[in-house]
Amino acid sequence: MIRTENLTKVYQMGDAEVYALHDVNLDIQDGEFIAIIGPSGSGKSTLLNLIGCLDKPTSGAVFIDGINTGKLNENGLAEIRRRKIGFIFQQFNLVHTLNALENVALPMFFAGVKRETRLKRAEELLAKVGLGDRIYHKPSEMSGGQQQRVAIARALSNDPEVVIGDEPTGNVDTETGNTIMGLLEGLNKEGRTIIVVTHDAEIAARAGRTKRMRDGKVLD
Amino acid sequence: MRDAFSLTYRNIKERKARAALTILGIMVGIGAVVALISIGFGMEESITGELVEMADVIMVTPMRMELGSIGAFGSFTGRDLEAVDRIAGVKDAVAMRGKMEEVEYKGGKFMVQVIGTDPKDVGALFGAMVKPEEGRYLKANDHKTCTIGYSIANDYFDDEIGVNDRITINGSKFRVVGVLEKQGGFRSETDSAIYVTARDSMSILNNEDISTIFVRVRNIADAEEIATEIEERIDDNHKLDDFTSAMTMGSAIEQMESIFGIVQVVLIAIASISLIVAAMGIMNTILMSVMERTHEIGVMKAIGAKNRNILFLFLLEAGVVSAIGGVCGCIVGVIGAHAISFGIQTLFDVEIAAIVKPEVLLGGVAVAMLVGIISGLYPARKASKMSPVEAVRYE
Ligand SMILES: Nc1ncnc2c1ncn2[C@@H]1O[C@H](COP(=O)(O)OP(=O)(O)OP(=O)(O)O)[C@@H](O)[C@H]1O
Ligand SMILES: [Mg+2]
Repeated sequence: MIRTENLTKVYQMGDAEVYALHDVNLDIQDGEFIAIIGPSGSGKSTLLNLIGCLDKPTSGAVFIDGINTGKLNENGLAEIRRRKIGFIFQQFNLVHTLNALENVALPMFFAGVKRETRLKRAEELLAKVGLGDRIYHKPSEMSGGQQQRVAIARALSNDPEVVIGDEPTGNVDTETGNTIMGLLEGLNKEGRTIIVVTHDAEIAARAGRTKRMRDGKVLD
Repeated sequence: MRDAFSLTYRNIKERKARAALTILGIMVGIGAVVALISIGFGMEESITGELVEMADVIMVTPMRMELGSIGAFGSFTGRDLEAVDRIAGVKDAVAMRGKMEEVEYKGGKFMVQVIGTDPKDVGALFGAMVKPEEGRYLKANDHKTCTIGYSIANDYFDDEIGVNDRITINGSKFRVVGVLEKQGGFRSETDSAIYVTARDSMSILNNEDISTIFVRVRNIADAEEIATEIEERIDDNHKLDDFTSAMTMGSAIEQMESIFGIVQVVLIAIASISLIVAAMGIMNTILMSVMERTHEIGVMKAIGAKNRNILFLFLLEAGVVSAIGGVCGCIVGVIGAHAISFGIQTLFDVEIAAIVKPEVLLGGVAVAMLVGIISGLYPARKASKMSPVEAVRYE
C-alpha cells in the first residue's frame, strides 16, 4: 500500500516559491489501477516522482508498505526503486547503446541477478509484451510503441509490486496507446498496483479510479 | 561483469575519436616511462656489466700535477710499481706506460697513444675482455712488435693495417702482430691505442713514466683497504699528499650507479609530466562522458541502480580506457627503447641494449590504470551523486 501524508514539494524560483505539490494526501491500495489527470503544471509528474522514490519531498512523507521513505538514505531509496517499483516514462528512456534484451536485463544487472537468469527472464518479458522477435534490436531500430513495450518489460524485470507510468501513452498513437493500456491492465490483473498519469480521458476511463489534480493539489 | 564491460565497450565505441585521443595521451606517457626505464636499465647493465668483470681491480692514477711541470699530469716510477707489488693482498700489479707518439703508416701521420705494458701481466688482467680479432697478443720476449686497436687498424689511416704490416712509431719500425677486437662504448680508448711491450716502451721510445697502474687484489673484500695503502705508499715515495688516486672498480660501479639513478629519476620525472597531462585527459573524457550521459544515469537510477553501480560503471570506463592506453604505451615503449638503443648505437657507437623487464611492463599498465581510475574518480562520483529526477529531466 502507498500512502502520502501532507506531501509537499516547493521549488524556489528566484524570490518566488512554486508549490509543485501542496499537502497531498492520497491512499493507493495494493492491486489498484489509478489514473491521475490534470492540466499541465498541476504537479502530476512531481507526485509520481515522489511516490517512485526518484525525488525527496520538501515536507510530508510517502509511505510504501508502511516504510517511511523519507527516512531512507540514497541507497535505501535505490533499493525500494529496484525491488518494489517499475517506472515507465513518456520518452521511453531506453539506453540507446543497448539492445532490447540488454535494456530489459539492465535492472536485474543492478540487482545482481545471475547473467543466464536475467537474460532468460528478459527474453520471457519481451515475449510477454509481444516483442519476442525483436530482442536484438536497438531502440533506434524500433517504433515508439515498440520502445515503450520494451520499457514496460524493463519495468517488470525485478517483478515490482507497483508500476508507475508518467504519460506512458503520451508519445504514441492512439492504437499503440490502447495496446499499452492493455498491457498495463494485464499487469493489474496479475495483482500489481498501477499508477498512470495521462492527458487522455479515454485512457483514464479504463483505470479503476481516477484522481484529478490542479495547482499541486489532488481534488476529491 | 561481462555486461558492465560490454556497456563500457559500447560507450567507448560510441565516442571512438575521443577515447582514441585519451588512449593516445596515456600511451605517450606510459610509453615514455617504459622506454626510458628500459634504456636506463640497459645503460646501467652495459656499464656495470663491464666493470663487474673487473670488480677485483684497482686503478691507480696520478692525480695532482707535480711542481714545476704545470699542465702535465704526474707519473709513477718503477719504484712505485715495486712498492705496490709488495703490498699484502695484491695479486698482480701492471704498469701502463702511455705516451702520445707520432705514428706513421704509408705516408699518413698521427699522434697516437702508445702504451707500454708487460704482456704477461696484461694477459692476466684483461685477457678475458680484450681479445685479438686477428693475429695474437704481445708475448714477453717480443721485440719491436705491437698490437693495435680496432680504430687504428681500420679508421686512422687511408689503408687498413693488418697483421705483419709495419708501422713507424717515433721513427722506429714496429711489426703488427695483432689487431684487437672492437671495444666501443666505455672502453673505446682501447680502440685508438697501440700496445708495445714495456721493454720496447722504455728502451726504444724512452718512456720511463708509468701513467697508470692496474692492481688485481686477491680478495675483493680487502680492495678498499688496499687502495688506501697504495695511495699512502706512492704518496710517501713522492713526498706528496693526495698525489695518488687508487679507485676500486667497486666504488666506480657505485658512482656510476648513483649517477644513473639520478639520470633515471630525472627522465622519469619528465615522463611523469606527460602522465599528468594524460590524467587530465582521462578526467576530461570521463567528465564529458558523464555530462553526455546524465540522462542515461538518471534512467539507470530510476530503474534501480545504486550510486555505487553508477560509480563502478564510470570507473570501469576510466579503467578500461587507461588500461588500453597502458598496454599500447608498453608496446610503444618497448619499440621506443629499441629505437633509442639503435639511435645511440649509430650516433655514439655505444652499444646499449634496452632491457625490457616484465615488471616494468606490468607496472606501466598498473600505473596507467591507477592514473585512470584516480582521475576517473571525481567524474564518476559526480555521476553517482546525481539526483535521479534532475538527471532524467536533463536532455
Ligand atoms: N525542477 C524544477 N524546478 C522548478 N520548478 C519545477 C521543477 N519541476 C517542476 N517544477 C514546477 O512544478 C510544477 C509542477 O510540475 P510537474 O512537472 O509536476 O507538472 P505536470 O503536472 O507533470 O505537468 P505536465 O502535464 O506538463 O507534465 C510546475 O509549475 C513546474 O514548473
Ligand atoms: Mg509531467
